[in-house]
Amino acid sequence: MNFKEFIFVALEGVRNNKLRSFLTTLGIVIGIAAVIAVIAIGEGGKAMIIGEMEKFGTNIYQIYPNYRDGEYTKPRDFTKEDVEVIKKISPEVKWLSPMKYSRGEIRSSLGKKNARIIGTTADYKLIRSVELARGRFFNEEDDAVGRRVVVLDEKLGEEIFGRDNPVGQRVMLWNSQPALVIGVIKARESQLGMEPDRMAYVPISFMEGSNQWRYVNSLIGSAASKDTVYKAMDRTKLILERRHNSPGHYDSYSMEEEMKTVNKITGIMGLIISSIAGVSLLVGGIGVMNIMLVSVTERTREIGIRMALGAKRKDILMQFLIEAVVLCSIGGVIGIILGYGGAMVVAQFLNLPPLVSWWTALGAFIFSAIIGIFFGIYPANKASKLDPIVALRRE
Amino acid sequence: MITINNLRKVYNTGAVAVEALKGITLNIENSEFVAVMGPSGSGKSTLMNLLGLLDTATDGTYHLDDQEVSGLDKNQLAELRNRKLGFVFQTFNLIPSLTALKNVELPMLYAGLKPQERRERAIIALDRVGLGERTHHRPNELSGGQNQRVAIARAIVNNPAVIMADEPTGALDTRTGEEIMAIFQQLHQEGATIVLVTHEPEIAQHAQRILRFKDGLLTSDEVVENRTIAFRKEVVG
Repeated sequence: MNFKEFIFVALEGVRNNKLRSFLTTLGIVIGIAAVIAVIAIGEGGKAMIIGEMEKFGTNIYQIYPNYRDGEYTKPRDFTKEDVEVIKKISPEVKWLSPMKYSRGEIRSSLGKKNARIIGTTADYKLIRSVELARGRFFNEEDDAVGRRVVVLDEKLGEEIFGRDNPVGQRVMLWNSQPALVIGVIKARESQLGMEPDRMAYVPISFMEGSNQWRYVNSLIGSAASKDTVYKAMDRTKLILERRHNSPGHYDSYSMEEEMKTVNKITGIMGLIISSIAGVSLLVGGIGVMNIMLVSVTERTREIGIRMALGAKRKDILMQFLIEAVVLCSIGGVIGIILGYGGAMVVAQFLNLPPLVSWWTALGAFIFSAIIGIFFGIYPANKASKLDPIVALRRE
Repeated sequence: MITINNLRKVYNTGAVAVEALKGITLNIENSEFVAVMGPSGSGKSTLMNLLGLLDTATDGTYHLDDQEVSGLDKNQLAELRNRKLGFVFQTFNLIPSLTALKNVELPMLYAGLKPQERRERAIIALDRVGLGERTHHRPNELSGGQNQRVAIARAIVNNPAVIMADEPTGALDTRTGEEIMAIFQQLHQEGATIVLVTHEPEIAQHAQRILRFKDGLLTSDEVVENRTIAFRKEVVG
C-alpha cells in the first residue's frame, strides 16, 4: 500500500466525519492562526517602523554631551571649528551640522504660533534629505553671513499664513528678531508621529548673533554609508574628546542602533506570544491524540477486518498516523488562512501592512504536520498492535 | 491443500490452562467443500482461527498449500492470509464507511495492486456473486444477503487457495441463506476449496464432507450423502 493510498483513505475518513474532524483539529487551527497573526502583525509593524526610520535616514547619527555630572550643556561642548575639522579629517563623515534648539513665537501680520526653532547649517538639508514644498533651504552663504532667514514646515506655514504663500513674507522670531521666510518644508507622511512639532529652521549663525544662546546642543551627522555609521560616530566622538580634552563626555545615538532595539523588542514580543501559541498547539495536539485514541477504539473491528484481509502492522500504523497528519495539516491550512485574515483585520485598524512570507506559511504547515506525527504515533502504534482475533470479535 | 498434524491449542486464562484443541489430525484436499460442525466450546472456532492464520497453534504442524506455517511471524502470516485465504464471516465484517466496491478492493489494496486493476477485478468478483449493479452502495444501504455477497466477493477476489466461511448464513433468513449456499456451491463447482463452519445440519448438508467436533476432539469425519443442492436465483433485488 503506497503513500498516496494512505492519504486517500485518511481523507475519506475526514470526509465521513466532517464535524468531528473539524472539532478535533480546532486546537491546531487556533494555535496556527495565533502564530500566523502574531507574525503577520509583528512583521508588518516592524516593516512600518523600519520604513519610518529609513525615511528619517539610516545613515544618520547624533552626538550630544552626557549630563552625568549634573551640568547642562556647556558653551564649549561644540564649536564651529569642531564641525569643520571633523568633516575635513574623517572620510566616513559625509555631512555634519551643529544643532541648537529653542522654542519661541513666530509672528506675522496674519497670525502667530509657538514653535520649535532650530539653528543649524546648510548640511542639515542633506543629512535629513529635506524636501521643500516652496522656496529654498538656507545655503552656506546664508550660514557664513548669519542672514536673517527662516524655513518653516508646511503645517506651521499654513497655521501662520493660512492660504497665503509664506515665502517672501516677513516674520518676527522670539518677539524681537525679524526674519524673511525663504522656504517651506514638505510635510513628511509619518504614522509613528516622529515629527509632531511645529518646526522652523534658521542658520545657526543668525541665532548666535541674535540672542543669548551661545552654545550648540548637539551635532547631527550622516555617514558615507550605512556600514560606516559606527565608524563615523566613533571618529566624531574621538575628535571631540581630543579637541576638548574631555574623555567620555560625549554620547551618541544612531538610527542603526534604534533599529537593533526595535528588532530586539519585536523579537522578544514575538517569542512571548509564540510561546502562548505553542501552548495552544500543545493542547491542540493532545486533543488530536485523544480523538485518535477514541477513533482507534471505535474502529477496532475495522482494524481487525483489515488485518484479516492481509494488512500488516505497518499498514495499520501508517493508516492512523497519516490520518492524524492529514487532520493536523488541514487544521494548519485553515489556521494559516484564519490567521492571515485576522491579521488583515487588525492591520486595518492599526494602519499597518500585514506581512506573511511564504516561508512562514510553509513553516506553519510543516509544523502542524509534525504535530500530527508526534501526537498520532501513539494511537497509531496502539492500533497496529491489536490482536486480529480480539479486534474481530469486538462489537 | 490443508494438512494438519496433531494440532493443539492451549489458552492460558489466568491460573487455569484450557486445552481448546486436543491434538487434531486431518487432511483437506484441493477443491473439497468441507463443513465443520460442533456445539459451542467444541473447538471449531479455535480450529477456524488456526486454519485462518489469525492465531498460532501451541503444538503440531499445519501445512497450507504445501507450506508449513508454524514459526512464521505476524507479517508473514498477514501476507499468507492475503494471498491464500478468503474470509466470510457471520456478521459480514464489511467496513461501514466504504462502498461495496471499495470493500472488495481491500484485499488487493494490501496485495499492492494498482487502482485500475483493483477496480476491474472487484467489479468482476461482484458480478460473480450477482451484485453487479450495487457496487457504489455502502453496507447500511444493502440487505443482509447483499452484504454477505459483497463479503464473498471480497473473499474470492484475490483467488485464494481456501475460502474460510464462519457461520455465513447465521445472520440471514432461511431463503437468503439458501441463496448464499448456492453461491458457495457454485464457487466449489468452479474449483474452490471451502471450509464452512456451521451449527445448522441443513446448511452442512450442502457440503461434501462433514467434520464433527466435541470437547476439542474430532469425533466424526463423514462424506455427505444426499447433498442438498441450493438453487440460485439469477437476479436478486
